[in-house]
Amino acid sequence: MSDRSGAVDGSTDLDTATRIDGDAIASIIERARAADRTTLTEAESKSLLDAAGIETPDRAVVGDPEEAITAAEAIGYPVVAKVSSAAVTHKSEWADGAGVALDLADADAVADATAAIREAAAAEGIDAEVLIEDAADLEGGTETIVGGMNTPSFGPVTLVGLGGVFAEVYEDTAHRIAPVSEPEARAAVESLTAAPLLSGYRGRPPGDVDALVETIRAVGDLLVETPAIDEIDVNPVLVSPDGAVALDALVVLEG
Amino acid sequence: MNVGSLFQPTSIAVVGASRSPEKIGHQVLVNLGAFDGTVYPVNPSAEGEILGREFVGSTAEIDDDVDLALVAVPAPVVPDVIEECAAAGIDAAVIYAGGFAEAGPEGEDRQNQIVETATDHEMAVLGPNTSGFVIPGDGLCGSFASGVEEVPAGGTCVIAQSGGVAHSLAFQTLREGRGLSAMVGLGNRATVGFPEAIAHFDDHEGTDAIVLHVEGTDRGRELLEASRTADTPVIAYKVGESDVGAFAESHTGALTGDHELYLAGFQQYGIPTVESTQELLDGAAVLGDGPRPSGPNVGVITAQAGPGIIIADRIQRSGGRLPELADATSEEIAAILPGITYAENPVDTGRPMPEFGDVVAAVAEDDAVDVVLVNELYEEALGLPVDRMRSLVETVEKPIVFATDGPPADFEADVAALRDLGIPVFHSPERAADVVSLLARYGALAGGSGGGRRGTETNDETAESTGVSTDV
Repeated sequence: MSDRSGAVDGSTDLDTATRIDGDAIASIIERARAADRTTLTEAESKSLLDAAGIETPDRAVVGDPEEAITAAEAIGYPVVAKVSSAAVTHKSEWADGAGVALDLADADAVADATAAIREAAAAEGIDAEVLIEDAADLEGGTETIVGGMNTPSFGPVTLVGLGGVFAEVYEDTAHRIAPVSEPEARAAVESLTAAPLLSGYRGRPPGDVDALVETIRAVGDLLVETPAIDEIDVNPVLVSPDGAVALDALVVLEG
Repeated sequence: MNVGSLFQPTSIAVVGASRSPEKIGHQVLVNLGAFDGTVYPVNPSAEGEILGREFVGSTAEIDDDVDLALVAVPAPVVPDVIEECAAAGIDAAVIYAGGFAEAGPEGEDRQNQIVETATDHEMAVLGPNTSGFVIPGDGLCGSFASGVEEVPAGGTCVIAQSGGVAHSLAFQTLREGRGLSAMVGLGNRATVGFPEAIAHFDDHEGTDAIVLHVEGTDRGRELLEASRTADTPVIAYKVGESDVGAFAESHTGALTGDHELYLAGFQQYGIPTVESTQELLDGAAVLGDGPRPSGPNVGVITAQAGPGIIIADRIQRSGGRLPELADATSEEIAAILPGITYAENPVDTGRPMPEFGDVVAAVAEDDAVDVVLVNELYEEALGLPVDRMRSLVETVEKPIVFATDGPPADFEADVAALRDLGIPVFHSPERAADVVSLLARYGALAGGSGGGRRGTETNDETAESTGVSTDV
């Protein structure tokens, strides 16, 4: 996390101006609106998170295998390749699994995965690019989810939970109304039944809970500052000893 | 919008006033028997007098400034009646009938018409779909329910989403001899909702605590903000986990209903929540009458081990803490009772004894303790330590709650004496523990003085440093 400028003294006055790049956000939203879309692509969603001070992996959106290799070499192997298209929301289920290729260790693997995505898109007749992204070490951290939405009754609210079965099966999630103060965000994390897993369990490294706390607050601030956003779903946020990184993100605009 | 015209009227029109005792319009009129302002029965098809008052044909014919219309007519004619009231310059109305937003598209249309008229004329409209309101201290019963006019004046203001729950709470306080400062059933919340009612009764002289019954509202954040802004202690009972609305339809929201949002929101805004109407009223009685706790730390003194264990267990499960007592306190207790059973917290004296009151005082005076819970079954030869408590409440500004039981005829005098000292007495360990847990949660959230809530400087750190779980 580049910016921890938010209130840490227990007050809820939020220093959102310094952590949110409103112009960048406005231009991302404008582009989607111009294309008549309310759902942002993963790449757009991540750029939006960047502008809100949330850490995201290095990445590039490319059109063909050659560009993909150039991008991968700039980022450094291993990388992942994902379909990037407004027409595809469930990437891993798309085109029999061609939509997401993990752990690409060299140029050939990158070229093949990119070509597969392009071919599948052509076969379906959709516009699609390819997102080449730094591969995260999933074993090196704990997957969490951070979300937020603009609700009719409470306005912007946030959600945090641990990834996988904890959030979905056990409904082990915690909500806070935004803006969320530092102690409130920390209390939300600590209230999770699965919270002890974040501090290191069976040899897993302890996660940077401060960074997760700041991610929750940043999602809350983003919603407060940007009424045009209806919903933000960052799943997973990988919490490692080095920070909290948004590995996947979906932003939906007000319809 | 003038909510004062609704809750402090000097003249009232009862629209739909009726001679037929089975009609709401009759009972409403009967219930205004103790009201010392002017009452106009309105009914276009009635003539002569009712209960000593002359019928008028419509609100337009009343040659007086009417503050409030109690509208006891069926839903289909309500929109027109509200128009007439607005045209007659009436500032407030209560609509009893159901058949509005809760009842399909036709009902929604009706409610929209009412809201439009009310908004245009800045009318305060309570309901529709409510049993109304009662302010016992003013002899003002704006409800159609029979018997509720018997509820005595007390310090607690009930603001309930459901008129039925409002009346249930009112009758509970009647049975317990406590009474209410006000009882409001919000119903469909046309223009008077939680924020307006909370703000009004926060300024109401007779109110020392406000309790909320919440099912769900589209003005959740305003509800929280009004509760936080109030100087009067507010306690909330959020009911219903099944109404998830649009939230459940979204990707992230599918993981939850919005019930949790209410609980988290109340927590964030410093409002303690409970899970029963009894806790709501017990909590209000204790918070309203006595000193407010400045933290979540409970000192327990028990004359019998078993009930003490129930109490300690229940408090710690519900957001309270049992702190270690200061060494000086333990030494003092050991000096009072050499060979005491257990001189830590909870302090167990093993049995009632003449020195019991001194032990209570030693714990109450410990700085580590914010709230005191005393459990002592009544023993005829000793009685309850009324005299020692009398001197204790002079010197210690902390809530002290008693749990005791015994043959009613024998110990009622001692119980009454404690209550006169401002010490609440409950007759089961659980009930005492529950209200003390609420005090502890309140102490943790409010940081004591009633200030220090969200948005001020101390609250969040206080809540965190006390280590009280937010998701109880």
